Amino acid sequence: MKDNIIWGQYINSDSSIHRLDPRTKLLSVLAFTLCCLTLQTFGGYVAATVLVGGQLLLSRVPVRKFFRGLQPILFILSFTFVYHLLVTQDGIESGAFVVWRILLLVSLASVLTLTTKPLDLAKGLEQLFKPLSRFGVPVEAFALMLMIAIRFIPTITQELDRILLAQKARGYDIKSTKGHRQVYAYLLLVVPLLITTIQRAEQLAMTIDARAYGNGKGRTTYRILKFTRMDHAAGGLMLAFVLLILYL
Amino acid sequence: MLVFDQVDYHYRREHPVLQQLSFEIHQGEFISIIGGNGSGKSTLAKLMNGLLQPREGQVKLEHLNTLNPDDLGRIRERVGLVFQNPDDQFITTSVLDEVVFGLENLRVPRDEMAHRVNKALQAVHMEDYAKAMPHQLSGGQKQRVAIAAVVAMEPSIMIFDEATSMLDPQGRRDILDVMHTLHQQGLTIIHITHHMEEILSADRVLLLSKGEMAFDGPPSALFSSVSITEHQLTLPFAVRLHQALGINAPLCVDWKETITSLWTMS
Amino acid sequence: MDYELNDVSVRINGEEILESISCTLQEGKWISIIGQTGAGKSTFAQVIKGLIPFYRGKYTHNRQPLPRDGKGKMKIVPQIGYVFQYPEHQIFESTVYKELTFAPKMKGESPERLEVALKMVMGQIGLSEKLLQENPFQLSGGLKRLVAIASVLIAEPELLILDEPTAGLDPVNRIALLKQLKAWQREKKRTVLFISHQLEDVAEYSDEVMIFKKGRLLAHLDANELFLQRTALMEQAGLPLPEPIQLLRMIEALSGRILEPASCREEDIMQQVRLAWQSRGLQNEG
Repeated sequence: MKDNIIWGQYINSDSSIHRLDPRTKLLSVLAFTLCCLTLQTFGGYVAATVLVGGQLLLSRVPVRKFFRGLQPILFILSFTFVYHLLVTQDGIESGAFVVWRILLLVSLASVLTLTTKPLDLAKGLEQLFKPLSRFGVPVEAFALMLMIAIRFIPTITQELDRILLAQKARGYDIKSTKGHRQVYAYLLLVVPLLITTIQRAEQLAMTIDARAYGNGKGRTTYRILKFTRMDHAAGGLMLAFVLLILYL
Repeated sequence: MLVFDQVDYHYRREHPVLQQLSFEIHQGEFISIIGGNGSGKSTLAKLMNGLLQPREGQVKLEHLNTLNPDDLGRIRERVGLVFQNPDDQFITTSVLDEVVFGLENLRVPRDEMAHRVNKALQAVHMEDYAKAMPHQLSGGQKQRVAIAAVVAMEPSIMIFDEATSMLDPQGRRDILDVMHTLHQQGLTIIHITHHMEEILSADRVLLLSKGEMAFDGPPSALFSSVSITEHQLTLPFAVRLHQALGINAPLCVDWKETITSLWTMS
Repeated sequence: MDYELNDVSVRINGEEILESISCTLQEGKWISIIGQTGAGKSTFAQVIKGLIPFYRGKYTHNRQPLPRDGKGKMKIVPQIGYVFQYPEHQIFESTVYKELTFAPKMKGESPERLEVALKMVMGQIGLSEKLLQENPFQLSGGLKRLVAIASVLIAEPELLILDEPTAGLDPVNRIALLKQLKAWQREKKRTVLFISHQLEDVAEYSDEVMIFKKGRLLAHLDANELFLQRTALMEQAGLPLPEPIQLLRMIEALSGRILEPASCREEDIMQQVRLAWQSRGLQNEG
């Protein structure tokens, strides 16, 4: 459970897709998303499917895990399909294409999250947006925030579990209370969680200060993301594919 | 080197936390700061590296002053602080990143970082855990990472603010060992605690009581000059033992030595 | 009252946290639970309270299996009071009075009985009635802790679980709290499960000790037996001996005699040590 959140959906493996720079993956997903929106022809759909399918194969993500990840959107897909069926004229066809398109987008996004650790994603985003810091956007601070969020989700979930347990031990089970008592029950949950979280945040801020963060001198970075030849190749291929799809 | 000059502090004016504190800490000392809940110990620690600024008086580290915003970076570089709760001072998602964090802030060149990280992790015996994530570590291990993160910044003073109080006996012993090793390497150690057993090995004890300095001197003199229980504290076992057996010999760091030598002497 | 576990095992996320625990918790005993971090101490206490399910074994209360809800899930045992670590974090009412009476009011206790229970708890645990209208958030750490514990005691639990109740308290507050709790337990003949890393406190207050190691119950025995006769168990569990016990061992080694203190409490040990100490010269001469 704790692992789940820190890792996101990340599956530990060492495929060529895993090894790509997170920036390459982020930019590829962005490019693909934009071009998906312009998909028109059957040929285009087939080409896009080949692309996504190929990446899935390359990523060596177990098929079972991949499909389990898709389950939550099944409802949205079926709703979209039925909606198109009922509302538009050539219902089946347009419905099928829309569902197909969503599936493609979600699949590629899954490849990204299945092969990249959340922290690497954050690092990638930071590097991509770095140029903005010249215009006074606090990119570094946002990156730190993002990292702390990733780091503390499991801790706060744990805290919530602890409070739930403590409340249950006192005999209040949120699920079994009703009416105004339920309001009380939620208060019992929210007040301690807020107080401990604020205390935690204060302490964390102290620690960050004590470790000389933001002393006005800027920072160096230890982990530097580097584009490898793989990234150039993968980026080039992706670009070629996107152009092909647009052409079709 | 670290000087408190007539320092007053309060969060709200009607409740003074620290009053008229003046003392000096010298390079290489091992100092224990003791006092009951609410005596102002933790506030004192935060004043030492400029996390808080005195309302009156000043806190100076050689020529640097915590009241001067331009000095704060330099002060925090030289005065490291380890807090009580290991969970709330793990900022990043891995041991390596955690130790690197402070170095990045100090703009340490990249080539030097790896070396410093290794050295710091070795100092706390965590070199095998560089890739570990916080939730895979015990409280004691997390606390040692927090120490490594500060050690890597190569401070000259390290403050431990009740850093042992949330750990099991083993974890506590490990942290105390690390503290003494660092002290032998020349660091000034300031250990804030209410485990009275831990203060006997200090060079000097400061006793805070209701924001005032009730004692400043070697641990052996503390128990004869102050009534400890009046300050929310209890006598350490060694002192209770001396009293029960009517031993007049000076207080040893380890009471076992006293007992052995006195027994064989008779 | 009688709580009995038979071959109980707990698994969380596929990991064996408790393995085949069998024990009986007797009425009127102060039972301490010790072991290194991660040995399963808190999990054990939570099983007793009915907060976590076990996948194997049997748990009976007064010879009856624990009640389960309609879906076959574990239900909490209402006769057990549970004081979590840092219980003051759970405080949320605006006055001490409201905080203390919240639980009984929710259960529909009558106002008259509530007043009686309140007075009794305040007296037993040494809380002054002046505090009732104070804001609990403004109290000192020690008092806040006391209020949080009192809010559990007011339900008059027959078994009280204390998970490191003195963590973060200074020595004077710590000893005061333990003395109050011990007095409460003695007077009402209740059972206490006391989880602690402070082994000196364990030796001082316990009737029985349960030692956990890596999810197993290494031993459950009389406190005097553990600290005076079977100290090897402490070593096995990776725990240091309390200082008075270390002293006792040392004097025994020096004098070559077995000392027999009345209990493992510091006062009794000191008394024996003092006698041995006073006679050491004579012994050496003879």
